[in-house]
Amino acid sequence: MPILSIIAFLPALGAAAVMCIPNSRGLSLAKWVTAGFMVVDLVIVAGMALSFDRGAAGMQFIEKIPWIPSFGINYFVGVDGISVTMIVLSALLSLIVVFGSWSTDHRPKTWFVMLLLLEAGMNGVFMALDFALFYVYWEWVLIPMYFIIAWWGKEDRSYVSLKFFLYMLLGSVLILLGILAIYLHPQGGTWDMVELANRNFPVGFQMWVFGLFYFGFAVRVPVWPFHTGHSDAHIQAPTAGSVTLAGVLLKTGTYGLIRVSLPMLPDAAHQWAWFVGAMACAAILYGSVVAFWQPDLKKMLAYSSVGHMGFAMLGIASGTQEGLDGAMILAFAHGVITGLLFLVVGMIYDRAHTRMAPDLQGVGKKAPVLGGMLAFAAISSLGLPGLAGFAGEFLVIVGAWKSELPKFYTVVAGVGMLLGAAYMLWVIYRVVYGEPTETVEKSMPEARPIDLLTAGPLMAITVIIGLNWNVLLDFIDPAIKILTQTLVRS
Amino acid sequence: MNILVAIPLIPALVFFLFFLLPRATRTKMLFLPIGAMAVSLVLSLMAFSTVFPGAEKLAEHGAQFTSYTIGVIGGVPLNISLRLDALAALMLLVVTIVGMAVQVYSLSYMKGEERIGWYYAVLSLFTAAMLTLVLAGDFLLFYMSWEVMGLCSYLLIGFWNTNDEARRASIKAFLTTRVGDVGFAIGLAYMWATVGSFDIPTVLGSAHTWGPGVATAIALLLFFGAMGKSAQFPLHIWLPDAMAGPTPASALIHAATMVAAGVFLVARSLPIFEASGVALQVVLIIGATTALLAASMGSVQHDIKKVLAYSTISQLGFMFMGLGTGNVSAGMFHLFTHAFFKSLLFLGAGSIIHSLHTQDMREMGGVGKSMKVTTVTFTVGTLALSGIMPFSGFFSKDLILDHLWREGHYVIYSVALASAFLTAFYMARLWFRVFSGTPRKAGHAHESDMKILSPMIVLALLSVLAGATTLVFGEFLGSETEWPSLVMGGASTIVALSGIGLGWALFGNGRDPEAVRARASKVYMIVTNRFFLDLVAEQYIAGGYNRLSEKVNWFDKKVINGIVNGVGVACRQAGTQLRRLQAGRVQVYQRLVVAAVLVLVLVAVLATGV
Amino acid sequence: MTVGLPAFLLLAALLFSLGLYGVTSKKSAVMVLMSLELMANAVNINLVAFSRFLTPEKMTGQVFAMFMMVVAAAEIGLGLALVIALYRQTKTVELDHINELRG
Repeated sequence: MPILSIIAFLPALGAAAVMCIPNSRGLSLAKWVTAGFMVVDLVIVAGMALSFDRGAAGMQFIEKIPWIPSFGINYFVGVDGISVTMIVLSALLSLIVVFGSWSTDHRPKTWFVMLLLLEAGMNGVFMALDFALFYVYWEWVLIPMYFIIAWWGKEDRSYVSLKFFLYMLLGSVLILLGILAIYLHPQGGTWDMVELANRNFPVGFQMWVFGLFYFGFAVRVPVWPFHTGHSDAHIQAPTAGSVTLAGVLLKTGTYGLIRVSLPMLPDAAHQWAWFVGAMACAAILYGSVVAFWQPDLKKMLAYSSVGHMGFAMLGIASGTQEGLDGAMILAFAHGVITGLLFLVVGMIYDRAHTRMAPDLQGVGKKAPVLGGMLAFAAISSLGLPGLAGFAGEFLVIVGAWKSELPKFYTVVAGVGMLLGAAYMLWVIYRVVYGEPTETVEKSMPEARPIDLLTAGPLMAITVIIGLNWNVLLDFIDPAIKILTQTLVRS
Repeated sequence: MNILVAIPLIPALVFFLFFLLPRATRTKMLFLPIGAMAVSLVLSLMAFSTVFPGAEKLAEHGAQFTSYTIGVIGGVPLNISLRLDALAALMLLVVTIVGMAVQVYSLSYMKGEERIGWYYAVLSLFTAAMLTLVLAGDFLLFYMSWEVMGLCSYLLIGFWNTNDEARRASIKAFLTTRVGDVGFAIGLAYMWATVGSFDIPTVLGSAHTWGPGVATAIALLLFFGAMGKSAQFPLHIWLPDAMAGPTPASALIHAATMVAAGVFLVARSLPIFEASGVALQVVLIIGATTALLAASMGSVQHDIKKVLAYSTISQLGFMFMGLGTGNVSAGMFHLFTHAFFKSLLFLGAGSIIHSLHTQDMREMGGVGKSMKVTTVTFTVGTLALSGIMPFSGFFSKDLILDHLWREGHYVIYSVALASAFLTAFYMARLWFRVFSGTPRKAGHAHESDMKILSPMIVLALLSVLAGATTLVFGEFLGSETEWPSLVMGGASTIVALSGIGLGWALFGNGRDPEAVRARASKVYMIVTNRFFLDLVAEQYIAGGYNRLSEKVNWFDKKVINGIVNGVGVACRQAGTQLRRLQAGRVQVYQRLVVAAVLVLVLVAVLATGV
Repeated sequence: MTVGLPAFLLLAALLFSLGLYGVTSKKSAVMVLMSLELMANAVNINLVAFSRFLTPEKMTGQVFAMFMMVVAAAEIGLGLALVIALYRQTKTVELDHINELRG
């Protein structure tokens, strides 16, 4: 059974189904159909993850069908442990987002179509093993995201959606150039991403192609100083857009580095490590410092993502088993936790119609459950052991110290842990704690069942991963081990 | 189920249950956390009995051990484990006894509080984390529970979070300890890179092979973490502010257990410090500095809880001095006795605050007549802390002084003696102000109920009796301890008595020595301003960070985003200029085409070299 | 002296240049169309000349020229129809006044 294709195309099929719903029954039916398709997709993903052979090396569930034979392009998909975790994340957050936007009333049909298309693209990116297919999916995800921001965003949506799209496209162009460079190189000549990892490209070639890929992926991650497209997008995007953008789309960047740059260009990865690490450290410090001052909660979260993804980039730069394991755990955990944060902030915004921290003091007193959820998310985000955020950050720090990177990178990451705690506690201080302000007093009803359904699973996952890293490491570690062996060999 | 797992797990389960329950249900189910605490206490006693009387029995049976695979790195399982040895068994007793006392006490102290269920939930989580920490068989689990304790401390300090002081104090506490934790985490990374394991016996066993440079670095990084948690100079600034939390929580977390975790960490990893040598000196110096500075600051506070907070900092300094001599017993014995008498003092202070509704000693007075039980127990605590024979503090403090003298640290010894003098002085000052004289502004006190008094009585008994265990204690931890010698004990008793005497002379019978304060106004000003350390931390470090953040924000908005938008604007400008060419006149286009063709032909011709 | 290929090519080039001048500079759309015809005929001359001098045994060029004439006739018909349509819209055939395509 072509299980991966089903996972990727079921949401697209769902999108077609939602489009066929007559307008008169738009909202009520569309959300149920969407949720139905996504639940089924999530169940299939879970089945796929459970039947995935965690002990075995290499790609599994491979499907390979000629697509454009004249260029040797195949429809080639398959997953290893890294992909599995990312697909789970994508399917999970997509479903959560549907619950999070259960009562969307502006063009509901189109909205759910976009969410379904987005999920299809995100699932696809993480399973494509043919460079051409990878690039198609890589671009695919941008289009629903563009419309989500452009049609359901806040006041400045048209400016921001265009800026976001163009910025992302800039990165994509660099990646396309990289892909073509590899394909046209005498030792390339194939689109097969698994096979390309075995071609030892000359070091000089690797160096500049790595640069293309690095900057291309860096725009997606986003690495400082390429983050302004994201931070603007987050402010204007609707909650669901922010959740998927920060939760899954950013991860395509780190995933790309791990899937493309490290295995295909290991020598360059080694040579460039100091630079990638330095940029990661800059992102950690910069993101944390800027996040601290932000009164706008969503902007604060956007910058916190810059900081956290800096940790993941540092882990990637380290090239050690610990660092890369940590980077991938962090990618997953950040998806869950930041998704939770954006959702809760969205709930608060829906009630108070403001996201400005100074107007929102005392949510915890007026609505203890809602405030508690925000506090929980903030505390997981600052890396409390026993919750998901810790495992990644800790392993990255351990890996960075063990690697050949300068030791002060690790110290910077350590300081980043401190600064990360600073802005998250500052959020609790300003929003959860204190006497309720007038706005909060008037407009902050307690969390509804649908809110609990939205946030509850993410909170549970945060705890489960925090108490048992193996939930993720069982999948990630063998795949990373193969990768680190490639890196050592070079 | 393994007893080691059960001890921390039971309170942890109560926390999870309370986390999920609604507020009203929690309030009705307070018997759960107290029951869980009691079960943990019983189990801890059982665990203790399997280890007692110490090293020999342990060597015979081997330490109880259980492990759990939390992750897998490069195919190698990463285990966290619980291990019961003498040190852990001892700490189990301290944590569960004080924890039990505090939980019973809180029933009355926190009665009627809207969020009492949450308070108990956090207490349970704290207990679970602390019990995990003392049982931890590896540094990873140690660090994890260490951080969770920090969170509980944060939550309890900020329990009354509508009060701005409490909100601020909670952040200050978390971040200041986190500064230390950064060092701890990096130390762990260094340890992993060196040994490839977090397992405590493995790490300690190989410490002497690392070479002094690595050992010093790792030891100092771990000690940096301990400085944050145990409030050592200059990271002590959070503890006095932490007194904004509920008093029983202060007694448990900020006096008896969590703040002692740093001492425990150093005691645990003492072989690393010994392998380094230099690190032990640093521990000594930091401990001595803290003991003296904190004692002096404690002498000028007016808030009864802050006096006790500075006293705690100072006593933790004593413990570090004890460990700095390279002797586990010296530090740990003081930790052991201090846990009882300091939590007793806090609970006593809580009893008084509960009755008078003020923490300011200047408003108190004459409490001795109306609160008999509180007065007696508090006096026991005061004498124990001041180091008066035969109370437990005398024995443990003397052990530290004795080791300092014997190892030849004469300067540190004299600093310790001076701190002991100040300790006796500020406790006398506190005692005379609160208990003697006549009632002042706060009015007449009335005795608290039995839920408050009975834990205090138990702790008072322990504070008296703990000193008698001096010899057994040393044997239990596997290092020699002796009764205080006549000379050493005599010296410290004289110092303590003269401190109390000075306190009586200045503050006895309701006196308030304006004259002394005026004569030493400069010194007094510096000390009351906490040596300006808090000012530096809040104004320059925290405030400076805030300003930096604002500046960087401006930079981000104007420069980085400006460049990005600038590219966009440039593109649009170029477009505006170029569209002039599209005048809509067909013939203009034709001319352009012709010109272009001509140029191309020219290029082609030139290129072919004709 | 015989008239060789260069002479025909020269004639065609002259004719083409005349046409090009007309296309780019005449104001009236009708004149532009006529100039276009000149250019087309210059091409025809080239075709016939090349065919006659380079491959005299084949008639390819001449056949092409025949096709061109037919196409040119159709083109002029279409072109004039467009001009008339334009005239109905704008009441002018002056190309300078027709700038609806301005960007």
